[in-house]
Amino acid sequence: MNISDGKRRFPWWHEAVLGVLLIALLITAGIVNPGFLNLRGQLLLSRHLWEFALLALPMTLIILTGGIDLSVGSAMGMCAVAFGMCYSSTGSVALSCLVCLLVGVAGGGVNGWLISRMNVHPLIVTLATYAAFRGLGEGLSQGESYSQFGEDFSEVARGMWGGVPIPAYLFGLLALGCALFLSRTPGGRYVYAIGHNEQAVRFSGVNVGRVKLLLYASSGLMAGLTTIIYVSRFDTAKADAGTGFELDVITAVVVGGTSIYGGRGNIGGTVLGLLLIHETRQFVSRQWQVDELKSIVVGLLLIGSLLLYRGMQVRNRE
Amino acid sequence: MSSLTDIAIRVLRQREVGLLLLIIVVTAIVSTVDPGFLAVGNLKDILVRSAPTAIVACGVMLVVVTGEIDISVGSLMALLAALMGLLISRHEWQLSMWVGIPAVLLCGTLIGLLTGTLVTLGKVPSIIVTLGLLTALRGATTLLMRGENIDGLPEGLQSLAKSGIGGLPLSVWTAMGVLMFTGVIITHTALGRRLFALGSSAYAAKMTGLSETRLKLFAFAYTGFLTALATVVDVPRLPKIESGIGNGFELLVVTCVVVGGVAISGGRGRLVGVMLAVVLLTMVRPVLTFLDVGEAGEKWTKAIQGLFILLAVITDTVVSRRPTGSARGPVPVKPSSHLESEGAPA
Amino acid sequence: MSIMEQYGMRSNRGWSLTCLLAFSCLWGCSGGTESGPSTTSGGTEEKLTICLLPKIKGIAYFSSCAEGAREAADELGNVELIYDGPTDGDPKKQAEMIEQWTVEGVDVICVAPNAPDVVAGAMRDAQDAGIKVLTWDAEGVEGTRSFFVNQATSQAIGEGMVQAMVKDLGGPDVEGDVVIISSDATSANQNAWIDVMKPALEKTKLNLVTIKYPGENASNALADAQDVIKKYPNLKGIFGISSVSFPGAAEAVEQMGKSGEILVTGLSTPNEMKRFVRNGTVKSVVLWNTIDLGYLTVLAAESLAQGKLKPGDTAIQAGRLGEKPIAGDNILLGDILVFTADNIDQYDF
Repeated sequence: MNISDGKRRFPWWHEAVLGVLLIALLITAGIVNPGFLNLRGQLLLSRHLWEFALLALPMTLIILTGGIDLSVGSAMGMCAVAFGMCYSSTGSVALSCLVCLLVGVAGGGVNGWLISRMNVHPLIVTLATYAAFRGLGEGLSQGESYSQFGEDFSEVARGMWGGVPIPAYLFGLLALGCALFLSRTPGGRYVYAIGHNEQAVRFSGVNVGRVKLLLYASSGLMAGLTTIIYVSRFDTAKADAGTGFELDVITAVVVGGTSIYGGRGNIGGTVLGLLLIHETRQFVSRQWQVDELKSIVVGLLLIGSLLLYRGMQVRNRE
Repeated sequence: MSSLTDIAIRVLRQREVGLLLLIIVVTAIVSTVDPGFLAVGNLKDILVRSAPTAIVACGVMLVVVTGEIDISVGSLMALLAALMGLLISRHEWQLSMWVGIPAVLLCGTLIGLLTGTLVTLGKVPSIIVTLGLLTALRGATTLLMRGENIDGLPEGLQSLAKSGIGGLPLSVWTAMGVLMFTGVIITHTALGRRLFALGSSAYAAKMTGLSETRLKLFAFAYTGFLTALATVVDVPRLPKIESGIGNGFELLVVTCVVVGGVAISGGRGRLVGVMLAVVLLTMVRPVLTFLDVGEAGEKWTKAIQGLFILLAVITDTVVSRRPTGSARGPVPVKPSSHLESEGAPA
Repeated sequence: MSIMEQYGMRSNRGWSLTCLLAFSCLWGCSGGTESGPSTTSGGTEEKLTICLLPKIKGIAYFSSCAEGAREAADELGNVELIYDGPTDGDPKKQAEMIEQWTVEGVDVICVAPNAPDVVAGAMRDAQDAGIKVLTWDAEGVEGTRSFFVNQATSQAIGEGMVQAMVKDLGGPDVEGDVVIISSDATSANQNAWIDVMKPALEKTKLNLVTIKYPGENASNALADAQDVIKKYPNLKGIFGISSVSFPGAAEAVEQMGKSGEILVTGLSTPNEMKRFVRNGTVKSVVLWNTIDLGYLTVLAAESLAQGKLKPGDTAIQAGRLGEKPIAGDNILLGDILVFTADNIDQYDF
């Protein structure tokens, strides 16, 4: 019954703990307030989750390489402005979506280029673009807000297929893709390897720079995609889109068991982390109706879960 | 090393020189547009506004030097300001200043110690601990303030913070004291050398018998204490205490530290660079006002701040470009990096 | 080595179990100690649940509205009042709170939209789910609410501030520069007021030289005010149009010894600005009775839920406020108030 044995036979230790916590939370919430477990209600409120969830996928990959992307929220602001400006001049939603995605890729590409080619630490690069992207959006749009994109477009985020919100399908598909990429492809192995020992990967002939460039660009692309959902959900495109998202996304990834130093973690953990935080928030706000309590509880959850993992972790690093 | 160009390159490679040049260029441009920028009153204002950032940056710099990071100082400042208001405002508990202020300083130090404990003994990465505290402390502040603002701090404290002694507010004197103290720690004490040694190579430091736990605990507690100090000397300058105090302060401080040339992976950095970065970033707002960029231009403020940071970081890497070497994590430490840290503080 | 490792394992296992236990306890306790006010199934059946959603929770303005709302709820007796909103004023979080309340099945939601477009979808969904939706403090998008408790439109607020400034400076013939210190460049309310203030200022002889955006940051607001005072020697007045920039601007004027020379005006509750009104830095504070606003909103919400208030009514009985007129679907609180040195001490909120 030694945990180390268990760990060897059973590799999903983090996920198991997260799952137990999640179930414990749901049971508690269900006992306190039976209405909480209403499936329809849960599906409706899951709208609050999908944007974070989508951003968390590339963030997981980036953190697995030992990097970080603080600029995703600001990139969303920039993408939203691009969307709004394009729509107001052309009136075409499809074209606006395309522009939005392109701007996202460009932003992520800038991050990736600075990180991989100029060898600047990702934290520093994305701290700078965190201010720059948001500022660019504010400057270009002059703080203006764009709205009225039509009923059809708002269905993208608000609509349901078979009782499940449309973005859920998108997330499911992309999460599956990411998970397969990580576990079944050489690219996925490189991601882990870079997180473990970048120097060794470099010496083994892998183009580490290209991997990183692609990862940060894909993070930008995802910011663009998320912006489309965000704009659709609120029928508003403005430079303040995605404010504060970066911290929530990183929180979810780390609670999901991905090591901030890289090399350890997976998509399954991230999904559970997202769900745990989402349900915790919902439970707290339902129980006390005090907004500030949510941030306190999520902050403590973050630190607490990491303490928990540390306790479980067999010290094979250092 | 002998030829003049070599020396020139070596001088230009110093982050401090680049920052100083940038400050001079910006000042020159602004003062040609409006000489009023160079008025004593304006320069004094810039100094006053730099003070809290400078004070806290001294602590965060030491944290970064040991290879950790602290992004919770903004929320900590808000919590301590609320606490200070509750303790000594004449509308609240009305405690004596001489009880209230030490209590705030103690509380700041204790929260710093707690952070340090979670990082060293709890083995939780510092970016995660302080990210958690960033949100948790902000929430706690809002709860503590119960939706009201607090004013009515003791008159004596307010006038010290606003007009001060010898023409300069208390915060500036405090910042000078903290700078000198931190400078002495870095250059003249075993503690300073050990902090840098730990950041250069945790393994080597351990092998030579340095206590990683104690050193990091010191760095975090010092940051907590300095945040409390900055709160005490700077917050009374504001019209009232509200729960939004210190919004975005953590990112400003971290930005100053990295723009100032402190290596994010630890072990390298100089106080002068950090202070120059503090001044440079504090200058952005007044510079835009004095350039009279107009209503449309004002909306570019954030973009310009971001650009400044990018510029500072890129020029540095372009000038001192290393052909290979990873951008993160266990960067192979160059033997010279330790010596670089031994520069003069001021 | 194996012994060491095993020792490590054991302690680790204990550690994780402790943490797990602590977590479960935390949640368990949270469930046990308090039952949520929102549980529609539990508690007394007849109680109406009314949600009051401010633009920003935790600032003095909305705290005083909440005070009036609680007063009304106590008076009515059959109302369970929930006062909650985003502490950072993020309109997206407003929308999410409306959605949460919709799922919980509350009776009435009173929204102060911080960005009408952003919350419109959530408000429509709430109405579709059979929940009564009111707006208060700020108007929503058409078709998203049944009534608007109207204290002042952005038109009245913007013009009110400009008129107060012109009057305080000594009449319509005064010339000089003025500055607006706003919040963020993207703040919906402030931008709406600015859109009104600009044309209103053009009709006067005052010249708007710039608009500053310090965000919700007191230090930046103070700094920006100091800088514009130094930069524009002909500056006559500053509009501080956020809860942070108004006191910030007044503080800057006072600290630079310009009280009386440069006037500051803006929106604020009287208690916040009494100090500056008494020493002459601020001559006029523009606002309305926020306590009455919260009070009226809750009364209107209750009447609406009980069917006492229907579309087409021309007046509503509003407790201690007497009868309040309804114009169309706007319940009118009354005109904006201008607090001056003469009357500010009569108000305490």
